[in-house]
Amino acid sequence: MSVQTQQRRQSGGYLERPAPSGLADVIDIILDKGIVIDAYVRVSVVGIEILTIDARVVIASVDTYLRFAEATNRLDLYEKGGKDLSEFVGDMQEGGASKKTSGALKGAKKAITGDKDDDEGDDERRSSKRSSSRRRRSEKA
Amino acid sequence: MSPVAAEADADPAESMQGTGLGCYVYGVVAADAVIPKSLSGIDGRPVRLVRHGEVAAVVADISADRPPGRRKDLVAHGSVLDTLCTSCTVVPVRFGSLLADDHSVVEDFLALHEDRFAAYLTELADRSQYNLRAIYHQNLALEEIVRADPKIAQLRRQTRDLPSPQGHGVRIRLGELVAHALDAKRSEDTDILLESIVPFTASHAVRPLRDVDDAADLAFLVDDDRAAEFEQQLEDLAEAVHERMRLRLVGPVAPYDFVED
Repeated sequence: MSVQTQQRRQSGGYLERPAPSGLADVIDIILDKGIVIDAYVRVSVVGIEILTIDARVVIASVDTYLRFAEATNRLDLYEKGGKDLSEFVGDMQEGGASKKTSGALKGAKKAITGDKDDDEGDDERRSSKRSSSRRRRSEKA
Repeated sequence: MSPVAAEADADPAESMQGTGLGCYVYGVVAADAVIPKSLSGIDGRPVRLVRHGEVAAVVADISADRPPGRRKDLVAHGSVLDTLCTSCTVVPVRFGSLLADDHSVVEDFLALHEDRFAAYLTELADRSQYNLRAIYHQNLALEEIVRADPKIAQLRRQTRDLPSPQGHGVRIRLGELVAHALDAKRSEDTDILLESIVPFTASHAVRPLRDVDDAADLAFLVDDDRAAEFEQQLEDLAEAVHERMRLRLVGPVAPYDFVED
């Protein structure tokens, strides 16, 4: 584990820990969860206001498809200097961030679990895609 | 829940109209549980226990002239349960559960399910729920998808500069392929996240996604004496994956996802 990694951890790290105070979080966590009291003894049901603000996205809809198409069309695939994403991943691994292997969660799994088992071919991908560039991205300041 | 039983639906409501108060039920705790004295719930009404045998319902009076359905009622419901879960084991009851009076809480609820609730209280003792939401940096996930699938890349080129009316059908096709690819990516990433986290937990549940950018929405039941270890694991994981996705951890909360309907 690099010194850098430890510094990050001490400064709070990457894990977001919001308090569940926002309505969206509360709805998400609570609504439709818990023991149901038998309907014949209950004297009320949930009011309409709550039911109308459950805004879960319907994943498989034309609107969603169009949104994805639009987002995909807007991509500038060369905004990172024309590098292939896997090269980009290689960069980060090479740049002292090998524990983070962000382009491939599989790599992350190994880093986290200490799994040395390479039967999924990650090593091959990792080693073959290295780039000479050492540029690293830092999204979080 | 039988049709016959449903006919009795109106009776408790009628009996309640005489008093003007109903008994709102938040959850179930052990009969000897100590709850915070100042705890108040919906409409600021003080929370109290109604005991039966080994178990007790956490209740508060509520005006009978309106059903609990406002946003702040939901927030109050969650607040009571999440406060309780920091001091004792609590079995959450679904939001909006209102009985006629204390007598009904015992006879129609606790007495009927005492064994089941006691079993839950044993199972959930010294454990807490945490909710983890993994959210893709969408453009990055989309880039991966475009680069990985020649068909998608080709449709993208085809639709990119087409005016809206002509490209509509192709655009839907493109979006559909992207959506499916994203589903596959989610499924794979969820498995990887779970594999990394589950060893630190007592149980887990996969929850429905809230947003199209979500990679996974997971609930974990964690032994309190392993909570620090669990959180450290998530810190490490969040750091490892931070270029691809954000991890948001909420908790400890009451074990909403670990009691059956």
